[in-house]
Amino acid sequence: MIIDAVLTGAVRGGTSILFASVGETVTERSGVINLGIEGSMLCGALAAYAAAIATGSPWAGVVAGCFAGGLLAAVHAGMVLGRHSNQIATGLVVTFLGIGLTGLFGQSYVGQGVVGFSQMPIPGLSSLPFLGPIFFDHDPLTYFSYFVAPVAWYFLYRSRAGLKVRTAGERAEVLHTFGTAPARVRFSAILVGGALAGIGGSQLSLAYARNWSENMTVGRGFVAVALVIFAAWNPIKAIAGAYLFSGCIALQLQLQAQGSSISPFLLDALPYIVVIAVLAALGRSRVNAAPAELDKVFETQS
Amino acid sequence: MTAPTTPAGDTDDAGPTTTDDDMGTGATVTETTDTTTADTTTAAPAPAVAADPSSTEKPLLERAARSGLRWVLAMGAAFVIFGAFLMAKGSNPLEVYQTMWESVAGDTNSFGEMLVQATPFLLAALAVAVPARAGLFNIGGEGQLVLGAIGAVFVAELLGNSLSPIMQLTLMAVGGAVGGALWAAVPALLKRFTFTSEAITSLLMNYLAVIVLAWLVNGPWKDPKSFGYPASRSLELDERFPIIWGSRVHAGIFIALIMAVVVWAILKYTPWGFRLRVVGGNAEAARRAGFAVGTISIVAMLFGGALAGLAGMIEVTGVEGQLRPSMMVSYGFIGFLASWLVRHDPLKIIGSAILLGAIAVGGNGLKLSAGLSGASVNILMAVMLLAILGWSQKQKATR
Repeated sequence: MIIDAVLTGAVRGGTSILFASVGETVTERSGVINLGIEGSMLCGALAAYAAAIATGSPWAGVVAGCFAGGLLAAVHAGMVLGRHSNQIATGLVVTFLGIGLTGLFGQSYVGQGVVGFSQMPIPGLSSLPFLGPIFFDHDPLTYFSYFVAPVAWYFLYRSRAGLKVRTAGERAEVLHTFGTAPARVRFSAILVGGALAGIGGSQLSLAYARNWSENMTVGRGFVAVALVIFAAWNPIKAIAGAYLFSGCIALQLQLQAQGSSISPFLLDALPYIVVIAVLAALGRSRVNAAPAELDKVFETQS
Repeated sequence: MTAPTTPAGDTDDAGPTTTDDDMGTGATVTETTDTTTADTTTAAPAPAVAADPSSTEKPLLERAARSGLRWVLAMGAAFVIFGAFLMAKGSNPLEVYQTMWESVAGDTNSFGEMLVQATPFLLAALAVAVPARAGLFNIGGEGQLVLGAIGAVFVAELLGNSLSPIMQLTLMAVGGAVGGALWAAVPALLKRFTFTSEAITSLLMNYLAVIVLAWLVNGPWKDPKSFGYPASRSLELDERFPIIWGSRVHAGIFIALIMAVVVWAILKYTPWGFRLRVVGGNAEAARRAGFAVGTISIVAMLFGGALAGLAGMIEVTGVEGQLRPSMMVSYGFIGFLASWLVRHDPLKIIGSAILLGAIAVGGNGLKLSAGLSGASVNILMAVMLLAILGWSQKQKATR
């Protein structure tokens, strides 16, 4: 059945974007945009790959990927918070830095084998009709990703720390009045975003592709940033966004495998077209959903 | 004005003490930014000038010395940090720098190569600079370059060989500019009518452009004589820029230089350039002054896209001679860096484009002789810009 295969592929392929998207949601809720998560994903993917080869354990890889993604995000945080540099430009440069770093250090890993994650069907659940193969026959990181969005939601909307993050994003002065430095909150939020993007990258290299190639994220990090807008800065809705994007990719792969007569290039373009079209359709309704401090980012240029 | 003594490419000193300054005062930050771009004192609103006397009273010489020092330190820091990464990788940084230097300044040919490489960077940077004046982020240079190359080849296909070489090339340039502008029109119109961030949409359009290019060279425009390798037919000699020096330096470099001066003059001396600056400085003030902010912004994006499209046309007619799937990778991003390195000043962009061109040529040298990935030099470029970004913003924020 093609629908099963597409949905299964959507979940598996969407995991990396879901991690990055939820991470970026936390970052942007604090009033900072980080386009560097594309770079964080790349660094995470390579670090995870290298660490998994070195130690023989994919879990050590995930830890390394998480760390690498956070480290690159720390550059963004230091620049944006410590030096007041432009957030969009800095994020893009940080991604550029990530492409360079992974190019330099990743070259010797191209084409090497890795002890990646294998599929671990959950006993019982995986034999459910229809839903079983779609949700419960994946790698462990995909199962982990099911919890990330709800946990992030609970953190943002039900915890004290999450309230601080949201306040930093809506009215930073208020936070300041209550004796918390907004920069400190934002620093943590940016780090969390980068670390989650790093885990997303790990899933890409250790479970999805089981391979490392230069610039292998091909814009997934940027897509994750776009999906945050789609999701109206709500981590739960980010799930839908991530699976929508990867569902388009999975559909394309399935149609190609079936020998469909539709141009494969048109199908390649489909996920990006869908994201842009959905953003355009939602545009007006998202203007007021944005954290207030985030709007200022787009007002200041140079 | 207190200037920090070290550029901070790799800082993580998130000082919680200073950040609150700009939080409540987004508008004033914008205005002070405007006055520091030297020639804007007449355009800037009076309160901003009054609140910020230091920037205008500084003698020109001292400012030049300061910015020179800043550049030297930024470059030094970038080379040291890149060297540290090279050592971590197990390469000898000095040998690597020597390899890079030899490929940039080895002989006159390599000097020419630097100019060839700088040409598309220069135009791609101008494509960022023009919208930036209006406060817009054009991160779609990558895709606009590709569409420019496609547009140029499209015109060449359309015309056949019926016109004089000059007419042929002129119309191809128009085709390239239109192609780039069309690609920029999507984020521009979406920004205007659906309030979607042009930064995000222009970024995503890059990936679409690469797919369009792949489709063309694998399908309708695939050269049957290419032995299965995906590429369009080779352009005729009439459809290519003449080589003017050495083996690779083509006439396109003059077009890029002329465009830099033209853009500078437009931004500085025309009413439209003035409006652009006002919109970029304070869109709300511009709206109340009766400016058609939406239209001005769209035109700025289209102009940027056209410049990037011209770069793509020059690359395909001057260097490549045909369309290939992976041509011009990261040119748009490097243009973004080149523009931000010099705060979108069209004349200074000539310098930054040549600098990044030199680094890119050095990077090709690394790939060929040191066996390192060509993307490695991205580190060098990125750290350089981080140092520049970190340095100057701090000054503005603390002033």
